[in-house]
Amino acid sequence: MIAAVLVASAVILLVGYLMAMSSKDLVRLLISLELMFGAVFLALFPLFSIPELTAIALGIAVLTIFTSGGELMILIASFVVLDKQTRSMSTDNITAGGDEV
Amino acid sequence: MVLERVKIVRFINLNLRCERMDMVTSSLLVMCGFAVLTSFAALLSRDNFYSALYMSITLLVIAGIYALYNVQPVFILIAFIFVGAVGAVTVALAATYRQIGPQLNLDYAWAIPTAITILVLGFSIYAYVNYDIIYTFNDRIVANFISDYIVLVLFFISLSILLMMSVVKFIRREAT
Repeated sequence: MIAAVLVASAVILLVGYLMAMSSKDLVRLLISLELMFGAVFLALFPLFSIPELTAIALGIAVLTIFTSGGELMILIASFVVLDKQTRSMSTDNITAGGDEV
Repeated sequence: MVLERVKIVRFINLNLRCERMDMVTSSLLVMCGFAVLTSFAALLSRDNFYSALYMSITLLVIAGIYALYNVQPVFILIAFIFVGAVGAVTVALAATYRQIGPQLNLDYAWAIPTAITILVLGFSIYAYVNYDIIYTFNDRIVANFISDYIVLVLFFISLSILLMMSVVKFIRREAT
């Protein structure tokens, strides 16, 4: 049954990646990041079924939730500032360099 | 009448071992499937607002999986802090910036290798990971965690306060 949880986690993570690569605006990029963090939370779940690792799993979960929440709040604040400066949420305003498929 | 837990089903030349699932395991499978479906809905939705709503539903279902196995602290952290705070702000932001263009925000050039990776990864995990979920979480673990990691918890709370203060200062500086 752990396989089902891990497969669901991998699928959600890759959907998040695909969404991030396809996004044309920053709000969609933010949504894709939250989906990726959701996949990480789901991947942590099997750790709770190992008796020796349950306390450590709780510590890792608390660490992940606090750091990802803080990171996303900073990202939201930077989007607000970007909107004030450029009046746009398009990714074209912030992309530099890179390659095209 | 006693129901057998393990049943052997014959398929072509193979004897497949089918195990009868209990209510919790069936619910886990349904919730995993629902989380995957709502994540696809978030990907395929053209409107940012509905995409953010589907994303919130995905995270709530993931939190629900923890609640199903009675890991209440993680359920509370995901549902109230992650979805309740960050997710609500994202939904509000997405309601303001509904969509950039009328077209679907999906790059098909990336969709094909992603689908192949999902298939390969999914098959390899499903074929080689054969462990059952053993329920071991109880209230004593939370009490031990709080007593052992009280400094860590205090550190995170102070870190969050400092982070929010610096964000407010940053936005106010940009506004002037």
